[in-house]
Amino acid sequence: MLAKRIQPMAFQARRLYVELMFQVMGRALQAVSEIDATVQKEARALPEGFLFEMMVMPDGPRLIVEHIGNGRFHYHSGSAPRPVDLSIQFKHIAHAFLVLSFQEKTAVAFANDRMLVDGDISYAIRMTRILNRLESFILPRLVAKRAVKEYPANLHLPEKLLSAARIYLKVASNFVDTVRT
Amino acid sequence: MTNQYYEFFCPVKVIAGKAALEHIPYELTGLGAKRPMIVTDKGVRAAGLLDPVIAACEESGLDIISIYDDVPPDSSTGVVKEIAGIYRREKCDSLIAVGGGSAIDTAKAVNILVSEGGDNIAEYSGAGIIKHPLKPFLVVPTTAGTGSEVTSVAVITDTAKSVKLPFTSSFLLPNAAVIDPRMTLTLPPHITAATAMDAMTHATEAFTCMAKNPLSDAYATAAIKKISTSLLKVMDNPKDSDNRLELAQASTMAGIAFSNSMVGLVHALGHATGAICHLPHGMCMSLYLPYVLEYNLETIRAPLGELLLYLEGPEVYATTPASRRAEASISALRKLRDELFKRCKLPRTLKETGSVEEHQLDTIAEMAMDDGSMMFNPKEVTLEDARAVLKRAWA
Ligand SMILES: [Fe+2]
Repeated sequence: MLAKRIQPMAFQARRLYVELMFQVMGRALQAVSEIDATVQKEARALPEGFLFEMMVMPDGPRLIVEHIGNGRFHYHSGSAPRPVDLSIQFKHIAHAFLVLSFQEKTAVAFANDRMLVDGDISYAIRMTRILNRLESFILPRLVAKRAVKEYPANLHLPEKLLSAARIYLKVASNFVDTVRT
Repeated sequence: MTNQYYEFFCPVKVIAGKAALEHIPYELTGLGAKRPMIVTDKGVRAAGLLDPVIAACEESGLDIISIYDDVPPDSSTGVVKEIAGIYRREKCDSLIAVGGGSAIDTAKAVNILVSEGGDNIAEYSGAGIIKHPLKPFLVVPTTAGTGSEVTSVAVITDTAKSVKLPFTSSFLLPNAAVIDPRMTLTLPPHITAATAMDAMTHATEAFTCMAKNPLSDAYATAAIKKISTSLLKVMDNPKDSDNRLELAQASTMAGIAFSNSMVGLVHALGHATGAICHLPHGMCMSLYLPYVLEYNLETIRAPLGELLLYLEGPEVYATTPASRRAEASISALRKLRDELFKRCKLPRTLKETGSVEEHQLDTIAEMAMDDGSMMFNPKEVTLEDARAVLKRAWA
């Protein structure tokens, strides 16, 4: 509570950014899974009805998607319809912000103990690969290189989807500029 | 400022050296334990390794209440339940694991049941489920390799569902690891070689993978130096207890390193190969290590080059140009493998194992992609990459 009084704007902006970025990623994940064969192939190994969550501990913003079969994801904007199967949990909103503002790669965040996996580790590996693929899609090449271990050589996605996602991204990066000090 | 951040944790007391076993009664008494149960396997018992442990305890007036010596190489939920039952019936109050990876993992799981209650170990599977310290628990490793005495993980097979259940909690860590050279003195040559190469791989991967950090680096390099210096000496003179102790310590140090900074593709491929072709873990590690380092080379050139100092010593390091050190490290490991092949036929390629068929490579690659160790490999591995590494490791 004390911290809130000291820096209310910056903290609020960071939380809003993380919430917004989760929404962007959720929608983009659904969109990309409808088009991209690589994501579909990875996702097919997940059980149908598989619920994936990414959240900030202890009860912060969260992103929930469901594998509805055949490699397709469905984004749940509200809360999960049932207990999730796999949860990737950031220990603090600051860590979520580092990752979602592409200052720290997802795999590095795991390596740095920024987040925990609750659920089957092999599904977590798969979801990390899917998220990497997603980030390469929606981010300009330069930023994406910072966010994923390696930038894939084979990205084929309709420009329309890309630009839509990049609009979100613009909003998002404005946030980073505001919040970064 | 960099984003570098790390965590390092190892609360295990290490009791190492000559007559280390004789410290067990003191340690257990200090933990308030009076009725210990030993968990071990038939091989350990047949090798006579329990005798000095039991003698050390009884001389101090501490009776071993029960001995379970039937832990299989791949421990199961049924075995864990059975041991927990005996523990309760005999009113034991502490555990001593004597053995390799399987006996240690089994004892970790038994400790969950006897401390937290219940009969179904599967209920405790996963990370962060256990919230309280468990019963007093000591580990006496009899192989110098797995490092399980300092890891907070146990893997137990659920035979009914034929899945491997992982258990992760810092409470699984034993109170102490007792490293006594007598325990590894009779280890046969091929197991000595394979387990030492497992430790070598733990240290090398810890030092070159994504979660490396200054503290685990210190343990990793020290472990590599000890293994490079002592392994061939032990192979030539198995009764060399000084160098046996060096290997045993190196194994624990490598364990501390990798439990804090994880492993990578060598382990991912090794786990898959072990599961599909039933090859011993250490053998797979030795086999894949150079091929994976070659695959990762451009990403890990700097740290891999540094390892040359610990693999070959200061003279070779100083006379090798900085730009060639990474390659020289790989050559040093290949040379070590050749020497081991001469002495005990430890295979260097999948073909040399005689138990892998070429058509299995795709299955191995696919399974490796789902392995937890993939996460921390410095290079993002695609299925094609994994296949390519396996092809190179074939012959
Ligand atoms: Fe290993």
